[in-house]
Amino acid sequence: MRLFAKLLLFNLLGKGFFLLIFLMSGPYVLRYFILKNTDQQLVEEKEKVISIIQKEGMQNFISEENPDIGFGSYNILKEEYILLEKIQETYANDSISIQERIIEEDEISYRVFAHTFEYAGEFYLLEIGRSLNTIEQIESIFFRISIGILFLFLAFSVFLDMTISKRIMLPFNKIIKTKIAQINEPQEFNDLPIPSNTEEFMILDQAISEMMKRIQKSFNQERIFISHASHELKTPISVLQSKLEAMFSAENLSQIQSEKLMDMQHTLQKMKKSVNALLLISKVNNAQFLKTENIEMSQMLSELLEDWAEIGQSKGVELILLENQFFVFENTNQSLCHMMIQNAISNAVKYVSKGGKITLSGIVNPDFYEIIIENEGEGIDQNLLHQVKNGLVFLKEVDKEKSGFGLQIMYKIAIFLGVQLDVKSLNGKTLVFFRFPK
Amino acid sequence: MRILLVEDEISLANEIRDFLKSENHLVDYSNTIASASDNLASNSYDFVLLDLGLPDGNGLTLLKDVSNYQKNASVIILTARSEINDKIIGFESGADDYLSKPFSFLELKARMQAILRRKSGWNKDVIQIGGFEISLNNNVVAHEGKEIKLTKKEYILLQFMVINKNRILNRFQLAEHLWGDHLDDEYQSNYIDVHVKNLRKKLGMYAAVDWLETVRGLGYKIIS
Repeated sequence: MRLFAKLLLFNLLGKGFFLLIFLMSGPYVLRYFILKNTDQQLVEEKEKVISIIQKEGMQNFISEENPDIGFGSYNILKEEYILLEKIQETYANDSISIQERIIEEDEISYRVFAHTFEYAGEFYLLEIGRSLNTIEQIESIFFRISIGILFLFLAFSVFLDMTISKRIMLPFNKIIKTKIAQINEPQEFNDLPIPSNTEEFMILDQAISEMMKRIQKSFNQERIFISHASHELKTPISVLQSKLEAMFSAENLSQIQSEKLMDMQHTLQKMKKSVNALLLISKVNNAQFLKTENIEMSQMLSELLEDWAEIGQSKGVELILLENQFFVFENTNQSLCHMMIQNAISNAVKYVSKGGKITLSGIVNPDFYEIIIENEGEGIDQNLLHQVKNGLVFLKEVDKEKSGFGLQIMYKIAIFLGVQLDVKSLNGKTLVFFRFPK
Repeated sequence: MRILLVEDEISLANEIRDFLKSENHLVDYSNTIASASDNLASNSYDFVLLDLGLPDGNGLTLLKDVSNYQKNASVIILTARSEINDKIIGFESGADDYLSKPFSFLELKARMQAILRRKSGWNKDVIQIGGFEISLNNNVVAHEGKEIKLTKKEYILLQFMVINKNRILNRFQLAEHLWGDHLDDEYQSNYIDVHVKNLRKKLGMYAAVDWLETVRGLGYKIIS
């Protein structure tokens, strides 16, 4: 996952978590504060009523003629009520509670503040209530407004995060695209600094540039070394080969002389192939090949099958092309790619059990194109294969006339071309998988 | 043809010169850039065979002299360095082909002939052997006008043998021509026998193929 997406996702998750907590606890918190506020208002209302009683007397509420009939009043929507009545004795404390009251046959829940007091030698109970329905309505309005504001804030902050992150990450993305992406092709590396005012990115850019310059330098040294080694090794071989060829063309060679010359040619060929293979491995490691060609893979597979079917036939081995789907492998090196697949087929021909068969498949998958080469016959030990893959051993086998370079060349080319190579041995079968990126 | 051979390895140069002379060509020899430059300015050549690692500099610098003085000459770069940049610069500067050392003389001959055929625009180079018509430009082999279907490798093998007719071609030379420098291993030279056997079988259905001889212990030869 890209860092930008990750940052955005974590931000979103963090805010989402916050929103979830608010959604879960919001109603309780809001209720708590609204009730607290309501209670406060009820207390203030009580103070007002008490103050009116003290100023104007009780007769505004309770008539002297019928002192046992208390005073009750509520507004038109029954949102609030006030009750004042005479009682026998006072309570120690004021109380606030939720109580059901029946007003004009409607049972309504109220937040009720009850206060007892003494006035003119009599005890009175003052009850001021506010309907819970009203409180819940306020609560609901508050909650909806809060949710709306929160969602707006979330959307705005995500947009802001995106814009700011994008801007902050711009130099980093440039470092990835223009510098780190070229890490496998140091010759193409451009050490121009990426403009940034973020100190960490500037340090990273500088560190990568310096590291790449060192790699570039060692690549160049390696390239020059390979070039010299190639010249020094191949020139004497060329001289020997030319002399051998000149001797071959002589008309008056005896049978024995011819055979001796063939033996020499054989040895020279071995040396030539070893030198070529070692130089090839070094050159592939040193990225000395261009990747500018496009290959039609189905055509390449068909041609390889044509090349190898008759050779297989001569050994009593059948080569079958099971699937050959169309795929173009772009920006690659045709001769290296051909060599890589050919080496796998050549190995299969060598290792297939007598009278067995070799199957080839070229299949297009959603994310990659895959070539599978399967042969019946004993496979290679996985530990040994791992060592070959890491360039630690050559699988030299005298009885198979193997130089031991083939598999390693395959692995090195695969790495260079960005192809995923996997060799497996299962139930007396060897399977080679090449996965080409799309 | 008149050929300028630029090669600093005297022993190799002598062998190449002898081979080219045996093919009835006139060969001038230079082992430095300076002497090659003089030769290019004063003589007219059909081919320049150019080594790159010369004692007084990179052979590629001579390609400018070739384009100045030898408008019709074809250039084949012969090198043991095999650097990708040499190859790119060589082709961009007008070289016609690039042959990595060590190479077979027969491969050199085949490349020279291919360049000549390409440059002359002559695409009807057909050689007749034993009643068969073998085209050197197209992958076509026919007998009495009837086309014979061969595989690509069989065509290449037959064409190479035809170009080098009357000469023994050993399995290594044939394998190198078919599979190039980077053979997986030496086993592939044995595959030549399979291809020749199939070639004989396919051609033998039309007429006798006694002109394609097996030279015991060595290789094959086309007699014509």
